[in-house]
Amino acid sequence: MTDLELILQTIMNSLIASSFTAIFAVGLVLIFGIMQIVNFAHGALYMVGAYATWYLYAEVGLPFFASIVIATFLTVVIGLLMERALFRPMRGNLFGGLIVSVGMMFVLEVLVVYLFGQGLMKNMTPYFKESWHAFGIESVTISHSRLFVFAIAAFILVAFWLFMSRTRIGWAMRACAQNPEAAALQGIGIGKISMLAMVISAAMAGMGGAVMSPLVRITPQMGHPVLVTAFIVMIVGGMGSIEGALIAAVVYSFFHTFVTTYIGGEIATILGLALMLLVLIVKPTGIMGARESV
Amino acid sequence: MKANITRRKFMAATGGVAAGLTAFGATPSKLFADEKTVKIGFLAALTGDAAGWGLPGLYGVEIWAEQINAAGGLDMGGEKYKVEIISYDDEFDAVKATVGAKKLLFEDEVSIVLMLGITPVQAVKDFMTRNKMLTTTLVPTDISEDAPYLFAPVEVHPFYNVTAVDYIARNMPHIKTAAIATQNDELGLSSLATYRAAFEVAGIEIIEENLFGFEVTDFAPVVSKLIAANPDVITWDTAYPDYVNLLTEQAYLQGYKGQFVNCTLDQYEHIMSKTSKEFLEGFLWQFPDLDDPIMQGGGTHFDNAAAFYQTYNERYPGAWTAVSWEYAAALEMWRSAVSQAGTFDPPAVAEALRSLSPVPHAFGDAEWWGEDFFGVNSAALGKWPVVQMQNGKAVIVEMGDVRAWCDQHLDVLKKHFIELGVPLAG
Repeated sequence: MTDLELILQTIMNSLIASSFTAIFAVGLVLIFGIMQIVNFAHGALYMVGAYATWYLYAEVGLPFFASIVIATFLTVVIGLLMERALFRPMRGNLFGGLIVSVGMMFVLEVLVVYLFGQGLMKNMTPYFKESWHAFGIESVTISHSRLFVFAIAAFILVAFWLFMSRTRIGWAMRACAQNPEAAALQGIGIGKISMLAMVISAAMAGMGGAVMSPLVRITPQMGHPVLVTAFIVMIVGGMGSIEGALIAAVVYSFFHTFVTTYIGGEIATILGLALMLLVLIVKPTGIMGARESV
Repeated sequence: MKANITRRKFMAATGGVAAGLTAFGATPSKLFADEKTVKIGFLAALTGDAAGWGLPGLYGVEIWAEQINAAGGLDMGGEKYKVEIISYDDEFDAVKATVGAKKLLFEDEVSIVLMLGITPVQAVKDFMTRNKMLTTTLVPTDISEDAPYLFAPVEVHPFYNVTAVDYIARNMPHIKTAAIATQNDELGLSSLATYRAAFEVAGIEIIEENLFGFEVTDFAPVVSKLIAANPDVITWDTAYPDYVNLLTEQAYLQGYKGQFVNCTLDQYEHIMSKTSKEFLEGFLWQFPDLDDPIMQGGGTHFDNAAAFYQTYNERYPGAWTAVSWEYAAALEMWRSAVSQAGTFDPPAVAEALRSLSPVPHAFGDAEWWGEDFFGVNSAALGKWPVVQMQNGKAVIVEMGDVRAWCDQHLDVLKKHFIELGVPLAG
């Protein structure tokens, strides 16, 4: 493999990582923007999506795509229950929301241990086992499983952008994120908007887990490192800014992947956190964050 | 509308759940009420990243105990004792290991404690020594002169890794370059030092190394860089089973065509289902299936190895890993020492264990070794198998002599341990 081919391979790896990080982080940012809740259980929803897909596809024998749909539906149901029972009473209460979401994370993790046991990761034979040689170059390869993740993530993000920018409900969600009181005075149902935000967020996490399940370690704690990355993206992008999260997801994923490839995986994590600190020093509100007026 | 669940109610509920979980986690896995019972402590990771080298070992120990009990019990001084296994999950965590060790010694009053090694063992080593508790580890870098009751009776990780590299040097002369990726922890680094030494002795140049942390979720970039270096052989060094699984799959997906040599290849059927039989053909590693013909007598010391393997796989299909038999093998050796000591008293059994010569190791006769490296001869060093994937099945291709290699190249080994800052004694 030549230097140029390695750069191309790394760009491909970065694009895949960006797409997944983006849908995961956008879901997290959405809940923070609408409900002012830092949802620590977002990683657990991702985990539930992966476990459900593994169970339905590898254990029960359902078709892969049907498993993804059912897994996503399951996480949406869990998300709705969380919103109604936990997050709605805590809306605007940053600390209270944090506590209940951490509790929910533990509950979901213990639940999958209870249902599916512990030990080594759950194995599933990938639905797609082949690879694509990018640009016709033999040594630059992307597995079809990863291309599938990219395609799904791109579809979700485009659909989400259209929804937020072209529909009345999307406008209402943005209004709620910017100023809930003013939105309520305009007749926007905050409760319904919160519920819808949770549906979208949980679906993003669940589907993310579902499509990533053939590629990652399916364990009860699999959401933790993903959540840490999403928090970095959320902070770098600007708390509550969906556009910022998208930009930060791409920047962070490219940075992390290139450093992992050319320097080392251990250094990549350290430098990734250093990047976050640098952004906070240069622009404390993050890339797209708005300064709070007093 | 007023919410049905207030924060106070939620906190009370989660507090109750947490208390319940704590109590559940602190409960011994099995309880017996027999009059004459000898208790064996198992303290290793049953959850978390290291669970692959803890939980499968517990399964093996339970099967071993069942077989002993089914035969009437463990013979000591002409009397039969039922064997009771008491296990705690240390999650590969120092604090949890300390709590578990105290429970095993003061509440359960066990006669021996079986552990995985590294962080949990280091955390409890002084405590075990002060209380004269016989303890075993799978990692000999844990042993030291100030811990006379700590033994590495079965696994001499990572020293046995030299045997597969030595096999490559003698049988695959076309292999001239190597690339290594591994997890950056005590297990990975001590193994890295050993592979560096083995490749140096074998005349194989290491052209790429990549250390990664536990937060890595995407192994594609790690593998891309290794493959880009175009090595003749790739090793994942000593990496957790899940990592080996995903790294190998990535190598397959990115079109790697060369040789592999590795410490482990746990659950290789799963990896084969993700890659292909042809891709794994020729893969070299260090841990056999116990139904291998070489393990059925002929100088090895693991009674009914094939039956053990069969029972294990019937009961826990797909769970077989490198450690599935190892803790049980340590108990086999402990049984020999108990028989010689005529007591379960840990210090007396430790003394009897140290006096065994040759040491009846699962892979054949061994000797206590380690003084030149760790300051004390508490690691059973002898032969270790080189395992190769042949037609979808693990096959022992030779029994390598770890002892002879270490005697001949100890200076090279020490040099690389020192270069990487890996302590020579635990």
